[in-house]
Amino acid sequence: MTGALTGFVGAVLEAWQELRVHRTRVLLSLVGVAVAVCSLTTVVALGAIVQQANQELSERSSGRPASLYLSAYRSDGAAVDTEKMDAVWSETLARYDISYASRVIQSTQLVPFATGGVMVGVQAVDQPYGEMHRVRMSEGAWFTPADTEQLAPRLIVNEVFYDRMGRPDLATHPTVALGGQSVAGSASGEAAGGTTAVVVGVTPAASWETEPSMFMLAGQLLALQSATAGEAGATTTDPFGGGGGGGGSVQYEMWVPPEISDQLTGIVQRDVQAALGDGATADVFRQDYAQYGDDPFLVTKLVVGGIAVLVLLLGALGLVNIALVTVKQRVREIGIRRSFGATAGRVFFAVMMESVVATIAAGALGVVAAILIVQSPWVHDLVGQGTVTDFPPFPVDAALLGLLAATVVGALAGLLPALVAVRVKVIDAIRY
Amino acid sequence: MHGPARRQLGVRRAGADVVSLLQLQDVTRTVLPPDQPALTILSGVDLTVEPGDRISIVGRSGSGKSTLLNILGLLDLPTSGTLTFADRPVKSYSGGERDRVRGARIGFVFQQFNLLPGRTALENVAMPLLYATGRQFWRRRSLAAEMLEAVGLGHRLESLPDRLSGGEQQRVAIARSLVRGPSLILADEPTGALDLDTGQSVMELIDEVATRTGAALVTITHDPAIARRARDHFRLDRGVLTPVADPALSVSGVES
Ligand SMILES: Nc1ncnc2c1ncn2[C@@H]1O[C@H](COP(=O)(O)OP(=O)(O)OP(=O)(O)O)[C@@H](O)[C@H]1O
Ligand SMILES: [Mg+2]
Repeated sequence: MTGALTGFVGAVLEAWQELRVHRTRVLLSLVGVAVAVCSLTTVVALGAIVQQANQELSERSSGRPASLYLSAYRSDGAAVDTEKMDAVWSETLARYDISYASRVIQSTQLVPFATGGVMVGVQAVDQPYGEMHRVRMSEGAWFTPADTEQLAPRLIVNEVFYDRMGRPDLATHPTVALGGQSVAGSASGEAAGGTTAVVVGVTPAASWETEPSMFMLAGQLLALQSATAGEAGATTTDPFGGGGGGGGSVQYEMWVPPEISDQLTGIVQRDVQAALGDGATADVFRQDYAQYGDDPFLVTKLVVGGIAVLVLLLGALGLVNIALVTVKQRVREIGIRRSFGATAGRVFFAVMMESVVATIAAGALGVVAAILIVQSPWVHDLVGQGTVTDFPPFPVDAALLGLLAATVVGALAGLLPALVAVRVKVIDAIRY
Repeated sequence: MHGPARRQLGVRRAGADVVSLLQLQDVTRTVLPPDQPALTILSGVDLTVEPGDRISIVGRSGSGKSTLLNILGLLDLPTSGTLTFADRPVKSYSGGERDRVRGARIGFVFQQFNLLPGRTALENVAMPLLYATGRQFWRRRSLAAEMLEAVGLGHRLESLPDRLSGGEQQRVAIARSLVRGPSLILADEPTGALDLDTGQSVMELIDEVATRTGAALVTITHDPAIARRARDHFRLDRGVLTPVADPALSVSGVES
């Protein structure tokens, strides 16, 4: 219907003219809305970013949903034989076609830095671990499947370690001596009875990390440990001291679709238990942040959302106030428009549109300001607190929410003055 | 020639094929001021307006002229009696229909001009076209510019009302009242805020465009000289409308 189109376009034009004519009062009322939308969007965006940062942090420590951990211990207190466990583990992965799985061994290695030998914490893992824990790299790349085949162990070191090495170019394949006596004055000297490892990547260090640490592939660590254990007098740094690596210190972890995690937990536990026999107990449990059904960030979200809505309501209240005052000053103008054919519905819609057009403009401004604030390096530092190394982009949801909120507030704030406007008695309005 | 008597009685010619624009029969208007007895502003008003008519209504201040004009302009409804617009009882129109009919067929010229402040002459004249549809709506700026040209203000399109003289403002108001091509122009003391000469030239302008477009013109005025420009003359005295031969006489004597 042409009447509906011209009616809509006409009302928007009318509203726009009205806003242009009353620039000052409109600007005044809009400052409030823009500030409210800006804070709402900022708060929501920061909330989303903090949540994502927290989530990534917990994913890095305890895995992505759903991560299942397998542990086994003997009833007599001794460790389960590592080779046997490894065999059972490989068999289980193959049987259920689980490709994201990793052993995790915590150990230490003596590293001969230029300033002297230091015991460095080692986390030995299988190649999929990088994907499972979203390990971030600041230099180089995570282990590739081909690295597993290499005779010389591959290392991924943290920034502290890398600094102590003197930050050599990774393209030159810098090496580190492992598994032997320290070699004074060298970061790459071959140690007696040890081996030379190649650094292939560097992970960022959080600001509180002051000690060097590194990742190794589990297979290469175990090989290194058995080699050094075979040589009399060589220093093995494995706390369990066992020739084949301490079975008790090996963790088994797999990343599976959350829908089937419960089912898998039972099946894997049963299979491993059966394979180990009566002397040992197998346990499979879930440990990622999403293991409890409800959202662990729900409270944060509610608090943040509540504050944002409150701020917006205050902005809306200011807008209603100003709009009500001005609509009373415009009674005459409304009367004139009515006498030239404006229907009551049209007057209602036009007054409402004024509010909506204005708040959408203010809302867009607020959203832009919010994006600038949230993306500023200063806020990144504040929110990241040194633990978030890679900042997520500005959430689109937050921007859309800001605009939507501005529109809704505009419509609500426009409602009251629009009701006042339609109640204007034309003959009283144009009487003089 | 339309005789005032025929008009007052609302008598139709035989055949009754002439569509009257506006017809009032025994119209009264009373108001109920709070805590006061009912006040009768108009009583027993009969009036017929046909296309192309020129009607003047004179009356003292407070006699009910503006009240009558509001009823003629469908801004107000009679308390009793019948009011028909284009042969249809106005009571049967919905509120929105009344507004649309008013916008499309009636143009107002007010004593105080009533231009929208802060809006240019062009925007003021284009304003009624915002409530039109189709070509009139989409081409409103060029239509408004043409209309301002026609009232001799083609060079002041972008002027704001407070930069225009009274006569110029009233010419903008006239352009605004005519821009949708109404069949009825209602002028409430259109020269009241203007000096004598300006008033005469403004009235000439209204007459001329009304003649050109074939619109009926109802003028309310105190000024017998302005009233005399019309063909049919009425006097309003304490809410009672009476046809008179010469508006100059009506100011003094009462005829019956
Ligand atoms: N809503 C109302 N409530 C009370 N009294 C009213 C109302 N409307 C009009 N009146 C009274 O009715 C009378 C006629 O009013 P109206 O405005 O029609 O006069 P008028 O002839 O146009 O006068 P003027 O020449 O001064 O414009 C006045 O005395 C006015 O005070
Ligand atoms: Mg009056």
